Amino acid sequence: MARNWWIRFSVLAVIITVALLAIVPSVTNSDPKKWVISKKVNLGLDLQGGLYMVLGIDFNKVYRDEILVSVKKAQTYLQQEALPVTLGDLDVSDPRDPKQTLIIEGDVEKTTAKLNEYFGYSMRLVGDEGNKVTYGLSRDYLREMETTAVTRSIEVIRNRIDEFGVTEPEINSQGQDRIVVQLPGVRDIDRAKDLIGRTAKLEFRFVNDQLPESQLQAWVDKAKAAGIVYEKGQRFSDYMEKLNTFLKTDLPAGFLIYFEKQTSKVTNEITLMTPYLLEAVSPLGGDALQEATVRIDQQQNRPYVAIDFKSEGAKIFEEITGKNVGRRMAIVLDGNVYSAPVIQGQISGGSAQITLGFGDYNNLLTEARDLALVLRAGALPVELEFQEQRVVGPSLGADSIERAQIAAAIGSVFVFLFTIFYYRVSGVIACVTILVNVLLGFACLVALEATLTLPGIAGIALTVGMAVDGNIIIYERIKEEINKGVPPREAVAMGFDKAFWTILDANLTTALAGLCLLNFGTGPVRGFAVTLLIGLASTVYTSYFVTKLMFDWYVSKRQTISI
Amino acid sequence: MSTPRKSLFNFNLDYVSMFKWCIVASVVLTVSFITLFFTKGLNYGVDFRGGAEVQVRFTEVVNVTDLRTSMEAANVPISSVQSIGDEEKEVLLKVQSEGSEGDLNAASTMVGTVLSEKYGAGKFEILKNDIVGPKAGAQLRNAGFQAMAWALLAIMIYLALRFDVKYAPGAIVALIHDVTFIIGMFILTQKEFSLQIVAALLAVIGYSVNDTVVIYDRVREIEQANPNEDMNKIINRAVNETMSRTILTAGTVFIVCAVMWLMGGGVIQDFFFALTIGTVIGAYSTVFIASPITILFDRLGRKKAAEQAASGKAKAI
Repeated sequence: MARNWWIRFSVLAVIITVALLAIVPSVTNSDPKKWVISKKVNLGLDLQGGLYMVLGIDFNKVYRDEILVSVKKAQTYLQQEALPVTLGDLDVSDPRDPKQTLIIEGDVEKTTAKLNEYFGYSMRLVGDEGNKVTYGLSRDYLREMETTAVTRSIEVIRNRIDEFGVTEPEINSQGQDRIVVQLPGVRDIDRAKDLIGRTAKLEFRFVNDQLPESQLQAWVDKAKAAGIVYEKGQRFSDYMEKLNTFLKTDLPAGFLIYFEKQTSKVTNEITLMTPYLLEAVSPLGGDALQEATVRIDQQQNRPYVAIDFKSEGAKIFEEITGKNVGRRMAIVLDGNVYSAPVIQGQISGGSAQITLGFGDYNNLLTEARDLALVLRAGALPVELEFQEQRVVGPSLGADSIERAQIAAAIGSVFVFLFTIFYYRVSGVIACVTILVNVLLGFACLVALEATLTLPGIAGIALTVGMAVDGNIIIYERIKEEINKGVPPREAVAMGFDKAFWTILDANLTTALAGLCLLNFGTGPVRGFAVTLLIGLASTVYTSYFVTKLMFDWYVSKRQTISI
Repeated sequence: MSTPRKSLFNFNLDYVSMFKWCIVASVVLTVSFITLFFTKGLNYGVDFRGGAEVQVRFTEVVNVTDLRTSMEAANVPISSVQSIGDEEKEVLLKVQSEGSEGDLNAASTMVGTVLSEKYGAGKFEILKNDIVGPKAGAQLRNAGFQAMAWALLAIMIYLALRFDVKYAPGAIVALIHDVTFIIGMFILTQKEFSLQIVAALLAVIGYSVNDTVVIYDRVREIEQANPNEDMNKIINRAVNETMSRTILTAGTVFIVCAVMWLMGGGVIQDFFFALTIGTVIGAYSTVFIASPITILFDRLGRKKAAEQAASGKAKAI
């Protein structure tokens, strides 16, 4: 055989070996850690059971609330400046862009100027008729509100899901105003809904700044050495409780360890946990808070968060800030530290400012918005509405897998028999090609960490049916050439040459439909699109290259071919 | 064996002469299916209609009428109770679709309560509980329609770029024909039209265009070799030369789909029902729908070219 052939053969051999190693843990259904490639295929909710929810965000209401609050505040501000205005109509003809009219009672020019200055970037003037001015939320502000509302909601939901103890939760945004929550293995829909929908607990706690951070880290490491670590799927509060119980003798009395969690945006896993030593008793709860908003410091052009307390809370706040000037006060939401600002001085009057560190204006603005959202009562930045819920019991999946597998196997056997009957030796080559195709497809599924669903199994079965097409196109071409009197070896070469673009075109057009499906699909349907697309890619590769490799070997041994 | 066996499927037929009758048949069928769509309508599943569904498996054979009576007695707004599977141990309960997501949720919970009161815990298992609020239903319908429209558009652009503009309309009409036909069969059988069926329709679109591309590829090749040949003859030759491939591929896909349809069970069953019809109708539409339209557009193109040439000449004189 030619050297070139051996090189191609070795490449294929390596690919097949890697693919086999990749699928072994899934096929044998054993602990992946025992194998070289310790990855297992992800089963979709329809196959392993679990909970699937679609939560919708009612942005129309969010916008309406936002514009009303802003305008009312502006009214109070103008009152102080002796420029009275009254509120006119709220125009909601376009619910995604509500507009509020203000009727100016004093000097129109002066009031408008003040208003524009006060609103700054957040509002835009849309109408101006005599003493009536109409404002809408600015486009940038709307867009920013949408993205922060979605990302913050996802973050808050994830925190609560951590309380549920789910191994592989998936929480993603879908479109602009929907969040999809997938919880494999969870069946208690009521508890899950309760957990997601309930109001978060907000507290303020003083930080112990006497001890260096390295000491805190040392304690956490000590607990780690004793086997107390946070593992995926564990309830975070359980971990914290265990940790604090374990360190009880080490920690100063009256203090507990809390964490600031950072979640990777890519893998959705907790990447960094900064420990804080906080007072066990919280002097002030979130219920004392009236409102938290983002403001811009006009002099320094820096965003900050303004908080207002209710009258009772204001009194406590004044007292505790007076006693603790210079200390840090942590803002703790659902047991997680979000921020720990330093108290600059005693704060009376029930209004405080939280200034942020230095940095890029836009980053600071986002940070300020996030913090304001955390501080606001209700904690979930927007009201979520459960639009879709699906619960699948674990045994439904097991049955489905079994039936679909048997059917797919029988279908494949029929295809093999048919192909071998029709094409003889070349048919056997085609069948080997299909087997390699399915093997590579499945390995890709594992490598890409894609999710296998029931329609996904259907996609694999369909691939088997359609993959033969590549071989058929090639074989029919070869036959045509042989019938024209071309010798077998040249006929094979010409057949492959002419068939390549046909195969590519045919699979690419199918892939276009697959891509549209991927974009449309949620859950199980997406799984079908994934296996279909993977199948198409491996079909183009195997039906051309793998078949050619075997044919080159075949024609080198024989003068005639059986096709 | 020095020469391969002759292909079993090289019929050498004059397909072009059959186009008339096929087009008549397809137009009649398509029009009647569209009429059915507006009169009888599709049996939309919970995904598109909104509503709630609870699938339960019992340890023993269960009496459906009994179950319905107890649900009604407890005032659970059940619209249907049907037995599924072969052993009559599985039941699908549907909750009436009117009402908000909260009502549906409450109703699904009530189903569970009534079941445990009547049969006792451990005697049944809830296999599946789907609740789709009215908003989500509308959103899914919309998304499904959009996905199909995008797929058709993308394929049309691809064909126009890779082949020639005259090839695109035929392929698209053929695809719309396929989709109409499958939807028509779902109306006739009143099988449930769900999310999965939309996926199947997209798979058929992908598969059927695959067929069309193979024939067009051959048409293009013959056309390039014989530029002055009549389109009718080119298409006839192309269809004849690719016929064995068409039948073989359709055959293998058909085998898989039919087996999965008959044996796959559950969700898989209806999915492959759509695909099985799709394989047959896809192979048919490629030859008998896409080709004649391509001939038509080829003639239009040539006529225009001839007219332009004529007017150019007139100006020159």
